[in-house]
Amino acid sequence: MWLVVLRRLGLGIITLWVVSLLVFAGTEILPGDVAEAILGQSATPEAVQAIRDQLHLDRPAVVRYADWLTNLLRGDLGVSLAANMEISEMISGRFKNTLVLASLTAALAVPLALAMGLAAAMFPGGRVDRLVTISTLFLLSVPEFFIAATLVLVFAVHLQWLPAITYMTEYESVWQLMESLALPILTLTTSVVAHMARMTRAAIINVMTSPYIEMAILKGVPRGRIVLRHALFNAVGPVVNVIALNLAYLVSGVVIVETVFAYPGLAKLMVDAVSRRDMPLVQACAMIFCTAYILFILIADVLAILANPRLREPK
Amino acid sequence: MSEKKKIAHALTQHSDVASLKALYQSAAMSRRAFVSRLAALGISTSLAGIIVAGSPVAVAATPKRGGRMRAAAGAHGPDDTLDPARFNSVINYGRGEQFYNGLTRIDGFLVAQPDLAESWEPNGDATEWVFKLRKGVEFHSGKSLDAEDALYSIQRHLNKDVGSSAKAFVANVAEGIVENKHTLRFKLKGPDADFPVILGLYQMKIVPVGTTDFSTAPGTGPFKLKEFKPGVRSLAHRNENYWEEGRPYLDEIEWFGISDHNARMNALLAGDISMMSGLDPKAIAKINGSADVRVVNTKAGQYTNFAMMTDRAPSDNNELRLAIKYLQNRERILKLIYKGNGMLGNDQPISPVDPMYCDEIPMRGYDPDKAKHHLKKAGMDGGTIKVHTSEVAGTGAIEQALMLQREASKIGLKIEVQRDPGDGYWSATWGKKPFFMSGWNMRPTANIMLTLAFTSDAAWNEAKWKNPRFDELLTLGRASLDPVQRKNIYCEAQTLIQQTGGVAIPCFIDYLDAMSNKVKGFEPVPLGPLGASQWPRSVWLEG
Repeated sequence: MWLVVLRRLGLGIITLWVVSLLVFAGTEILPGDVAEAILGQSATPEAVQAIRDQLHLDRPAVVRYADWLTNLLRGDLGVSLAANMEISEMISGRFKNTLVLASLTAALAVPLALAMGLAAAMFPGGRVDRLVTISTLFLLSVPEFFIAATLVLVFAVHLQWLPAITYMTEYESVWQLMESLALPILTLTTSVVAHMARMTRAAIINVMTSPYIEMAILKGVPRGRIVLRHALFNAVGPVVNVIALNLAYLVSGVVIVETVFAYPGLAKLMVDAVSRRDMPLVQACAMIFCTAYILFILIADVLAILANPRLREPK
Repeated sequence: MSEKKKIAHALTQHSDVASLKALYQSAAMSRRAFVSRLAALGISTSLAGIIVAGSPVAVAATPKRGGRMRAAAGAHGPDDTLDPARFNSVINYGRGEQFYNGLTRIDGFLVAQPDLAESWEPNGDATEWVFKLRKGVEFHSGKSLDAEDALYSIQRHLNKDVGSSAKAFVANVAEGIVENKHTLRFKLKGPDADFPVILGLYQMKIVPVGTTDFSTAPGTGPFKLKEFKPGVRSLAHRNENYWEEGRPYLDEIEWFGISDHNARMNALLAGDISMMSGLDPKAIAKINGSADVRVVNTKAGQYTNFAMMTDRAPSDNNELRLAIKYLQNRERILKLIYKGNGMLGNDQPISPVDPMYCDEIPMRGYDPDKAKHHLKKAGMDGGTIKVHTSEVAGTGAIEQALMLQREASKIGLKIEVQRDPGDGYWSATWGKKPFFMSGWNMRPTANIMLTLAFTSDAAWNEAKWKNPRFDELLTLGRASLDPVQRKNIYCEAQTLIQQTGGVAIPCFIDYLDAMSNKVKGFEPVPLGPLGASQWPRSVWLEG
């Protein structure tokens, strides 16, 4: 089993390297550079050249890539071109915020999704199943920004129960933190729960058609016990993978929610960095997001293997 | 009634004087500012004294002390800074006014008022200026302010390594001489009658001599820094040792950015913030629909314009440029695109709020017949031109281009509107294509605006318009300290641009901000959003 994990880890590292190449190439072909982006309308050829010289932007791309990669391997993310600050310093606070929001959302969304999926799979075609199916389809088709805007309109502007934006000020209590983050968590939950619930339902229903389940039914095992003891473990593989993908999304893809609620997270930082052509910062964010994806998928694979001994031997 | 009193009475009937008097009486303007404005109009000190005596000031509301102000700007990011030399956006300017002072402060009439300098005096030809500094002012660190600090702070901008965004403004400074602890003499390379105004710019804040680390915002300003996270927020608390008697009124300011306009507005409507900069004209109705918040509209000089490059075909033909200028349906643009929040423009960049605005140039109206006439003379009847635009070019830039397309089609001129991506617009489109949309913020003096964007060798001369007489006029204007002569000089300069220039400026756009009705003491200054960011020292929270 450790061999499988090691192989996955190795593949993950290769993926990271390929991503680093893609990210670097992608940032190279963007029109303009940080000098032009910083100066905007006030760019004169001399001013642009001065900034380019200062930031050593005139060296060949290959040299800059090699430099960047070696520094990265040493754990040095470099210095932001636009802010002239250590990137690690800029990212640390933002990354913490992202993790807080992602983990609080996951703590609500994952159990909720599993419960919905299981409830629906218990009696396919029944009333609960139809309710879950319709509501998840609805949530999947409504865009995130719409949900966010509606929640703000109702709970912040009209009822004034909850703040319209998140303050990242000093919190006096956990309750205050929850109050401040309630709307973003709710928005994100609605957008990830549907995906996970539907996958849980589909995976379990799929397993429920296997002969061994039929055997259990014939033995007279109660329905709930069949689903929880017999079917669930064989359905874990696809379910944890979907959960992993959604968790990675919570870490990297929540730029809309961060924008709407003015939440200082990592995704927004990356978008800002792109618009300022702050390449080292873009690259650092991209690498963090990619690492998050690879880690989550790796954990999902390990969990799937633990739940299903048949996956332990590489074929 | 004595002869002098009669003259003074007659003068107050004059519209300029009357509007100044109204402002003074509503306590929106200090006595000192009132007198200096009267002097700028050529009114003698003794007459000014009579006018002031005849203008009793309304009792201003008593400011209430205390409370935390939460306010939000729009654009912000990881490059937010506390280094005054690198200030370049509202989020930074707001911090500048919290933590620092300049030598002068620019008031609502674009006149320099004393800040850390108590008074100043030019020599006869405006090539030397002596500033007397205020005594007994201390930096947040406890160090006393002296002339060395002021000199260092201004000279920093000239240092290439500092990367000052205001370098061009002080390039005229030849040297600064510390005459004594509180007297500083600037020798200029060429005359500049507006020098005190330049020292009131956002970036010209005074820091202790030798400062290179600005992370503590080591100024003399009304607030001290408690916390600063670039791209997130800053927290400021009252400077108990502040030199302006009784000020500031707030205990704390939490100042941050909310990039998304709707999110910013929702935060204001929900009561999470008390003030926001940058309101979209489309959202005015929404703000007016709430009893707790108000729109603050500041007449200003920012504009979104058509640029027509005069050094290449087909826009090198002034007949074609005139045709485009006559096609500007100014009133319609102002009403539909800017919802009436602005003033009509007259194809020259100095707005009516500027003391040097020339109201003698007849307003160019919308006139398709004249446009057709000039179009024929240009030999472009039935022709096609391509106008480049982008949302980053300026507020309403895309709408203005579409409006022109519609008006042009009526006289048989086909306009292709090309929307370019915002990324790279300033490097690939602006100043490169013959016809493009552009946008300009107001500059503190007419001379700065005209020098930056219209002189023959200016890097930002977007239309590459060149006129030797115009260049000569600006040089004359810089050297003149006589208000009447200055006005004549700038009037001629504005006329030249209006008649032959490469820009069509259909209107000037107001700055629109919004704030809670609890916010009192706000003073509009036309130089930028939120009263040119000067609110920290003047506002208080009621109730």
